[in-house]
Amino acid sequence: MEAIKRLTIASALVLAPLAAQAAPPDDTIVLGISSDASSFDPDQIASRDNANIAKHIFATLFTVNFEGEIKPYLVDKTEVSEDGLAYTFTIKPGLTCEDGEPLTAEDVAYSFNRPLDKSKNFTGNSAGFVLPTLGLKSAEALDDLHVKINLTAKTTLALGMLSQIYVHCKDSYEKMTADEAAIHPIASGSYRLAKWDRGSQLVLEKIKDPGNFKTIIWRVIPEASTRTAELIAGNVDIITNVAPDQIGAIDSSGTASVAKVSGTRRMQVGFNLSDAAKDMPGGKEIQDPKVRFAMQYAVDVPGICKQLLGTECTRASSLVNPPNDNPDLTPIPYDPDMAEKLLDEAGYPRGADGVRFHIKLQGPRGRYLEDANVVQAIGQYLSDVGIQTDVELLEWASVYSPLLREKKMAPLFFLGQGGVTWNPLYDMSLFSTPDATTNYQSWNDPRWFADWKLALNANTVEEARPVINRMLKLFYEEGPWLQLYFQPDFYGVSKRVDWQPRRDEEIDLFEAKLASQQ
Amino acid sequence: MWTFIIRRLMQSVIVIVGVTLITFTALQMSGDPTYLYVSERATAQEIQRTREALGFDKPLPEQYLSFLGKLAHGDFGNSLSYKRPALEAVLEALPATIELTLFAMILAVVVAIPLGVLASLNRGSAVDGSIMTVGMLGQSIPSFWLGIMMIMFFGLQLRILPISGHVPFIMPLLQGDFAQAFTNLPMTIYYLIMPGFAVGFYSISRNARLVRSSMLEVLEQDYVRTARAKGISEWAVVIRHALRNAWLPVVTLIGLEFGFLIGGVVVVEMVFSWPGIGRLVFNAINQRDIPVVQASVVVLAVVFIVLNLIVDLVYARIDPRVKL
Repeated sequence: MEAIKRLTIASALVLAPLAAQAAPPDDTIVLGISSDASSFDPDQIASRDNANIAKHIFATLFTVNFEGEIKPYLVDKTEVSEDGLAYTFTIKPGLTCEDGEPLTAEDVAYSFNRPLDKSKNFTGNSAGFVLPTLGLKSAEALDDLHVKINLTAKTTLALGMLSQIYVHCKDSYEKMTADEAAIHPIASGSYRLAKWDRGSQLVLEKIKDPGNFKTIIWRVIPEASTRTAELIAGNVDIITNVAPDQIGAIDSSGTASVAKVSGTRRMQVGFNLSDAAKDMPGGKEIQDPKVRFAMQYAVDVPGICKQLLGTECTRASSLVNPPNDNPDLTPIPYDPDMAEKLLDEAGYPRGADGVRFHIKLQGPRGRYLEDANVVQAIGQYLSDVGIQTDVELLEWASVYSPLLREKKMAPLFFLGQGGVTWNPLYDMSLFSTPDATTNYQSWNDPRWFADWKLALNANTVEEARPVINRMLKLFYEEGPWLQLYFQPDFYGVSKRVDWQPRRDEEIDLFEAKLASQQ
Repeated sequence: MWTFIIRRLMQSVIVIVGVTLITFTALQMSGDPTYLYVSERATAQEIQRTREALGFDKPLPEQYLSFLGKLAHGDFGNSLSYKRPALEAVLEALPATIELTLFAMILAVVVAIPLGVLASLNRGSAVDGSIMTVGMLGQSIPSFWLGIMMIMFFGLQLRILPISGHVPFIMPLLQGDFAQAFTNLPMTIYYLIMPGFAVGFYSISRNARLVRSSMLEVLEQDYVRTARAKGISEWAVVIRHALRNAWLPVVTLIGLEFGFLIGGVVVVEMVFSWPGIGRLVFNAINQRDIPVVQASVVVLAVVFIVLNLIVDLVYARIDPRVKL
């Protein structure tokens, strides 16, 4: 025993200096993320983790700040045509890319036109979502400093969508093959990709402002408990996706704490109102808006947050993220008696067996925070008020996602949909038409879609506000969601650094600094 | 012997085609992966465009035959996630897994054989009981749990071993950077200790038990008794006469051990953030990255086939009774 003890102490003395080397130096910040980047071709980037790294490498015309305001980044001045179909931007003079190539209006126009090239088969966010939503018709350089973006339709979403296109230098990228563009990004932003050890880490080096750290290291640590251990040990400064059961360990470590933020992902139980769902058990009953409204009272959302997600939360009152929602709407409280009363009034009393009607609730497993437990809890709450709920948990990638996209869900299905803080119409655009891809519920209330056209035609969000509030009230009373919560996000943050998480799942390190610099 | 090798290699081609067919069918049965590669808000036209870009719009037999045609030229297609050749991604991850597996295998031999011999020589004693108890634990404890416990104890409490990460040795060797490889070597081993033990603990336990039972059987043989009667030292009896004969079943197992260990590294690679093929396959399956899954399965199948062949050849070499 003594020999083992001596050996352990000797090993500790030999190895301790090696372990100590892992602590980051003062000019470096280290993040522990769950998955590696896939590609740094600006037009192939699709995942959130990948985009979080890319936003430090590539500049954009605008940026959405911590408060959800859209601020100029490369732009000095913006002019909008009277019909709202053309935006002319004056970009800042003297910009360059990492390789020294001047960054001009031609490069900006190229950055918008490149994803439209069908022959390149881009599958990133730019070609697949941003530009179609923006309605980009064309982009043209007027001279070195002026670029004109032409749209197919007027939209108040324009500047926000423009903030998602990575600007990159034309000459540099035209010289590269697709494979080279994926692994050797030419930075237009503050940092350059200095090293990429696939599956292990990415190292970014600062080349210009903004940014307080000289080096950013993104370490790929897929397992949540390993990320937690690395944070507590002081080897990383920030970790993402902290599991609720590890919050206590981090908070009591003395070296780090958990920063909780109410995210912009809107968690809901969708009511499948399609014709196909009407023939399923419960499908006919949920067509009645009174039944849908009654069901809202049956679920204890704050209880779910506290017991299962490990945090307090306020129930959502609409599909729009605060502070852009309708201030007159208050979250529906948990009141099972009221749920039962409203269900009785709607014409669905309990039968002899205590059951009003049967229904199926589907949910994914491992897609959202504690999803399987939350879905089972909701199923139990509904069963408690006489809606006998059959819960079915499915694997996300191969089963749930295809069913969702093909709109073949059960009458009830659990879902989280990403949102933003900068424009309520973005959040509401899930229901832009009855057959919109994101209208998984097949909601077709004509009042909503008539108002949607009015809201889109407004010149500003403020001008559209009365219509927006009317729409949100309709959604609150008769909408196709059983309202739940905005998914909380948990980040582990070392006491060594001063950093605040954002609500929109973006990781912004430009303002991060050492805590000792306060 | 050459006839044997050629026959085995020809059989291998059939095995590989069979493996690709099974993998392809299994992946296709789980639905259309296009949805994983488009935005939540992508329109039906954009989804169709992506489906065509990824080649999932063609009939399944056509997709498979096209895959086989490319496979004949060593082309597995581009990874859907990484947007680069799938085989390149797999071969890039393979050295890290080989490092981990080799280290675990070395542990499984170097630690297991002395333990097994020691237990057999002290049959029924406290030493034997202790070794067999540890052996039983090793075969019962899941590697991911062991990994997490080691992280908590050696990484977090004692802080003497790194919690996660990897320092490459084989990759710089393959790139011809020998100086870098040997500079890295101490840190490579340092980072290998915990994951290597987590992967290898099961094998250490199993091999120790196997060596013990094999040794016990051999120690009862007449020739061992004769050797002792001739006054040969106990050390020489054990090493030269008993262990050499007890070695045969162990060699078979060790030969296949490498393949077994490669199959078992997935979870450990996740826990220790080890950038190997196990983690790559795990992510590829989640992402339905069919080219990467296919390339990984074929590469692993080739590794298994080659190892089996080597085991057969070695077996014939050390046991004169075996004829190829």
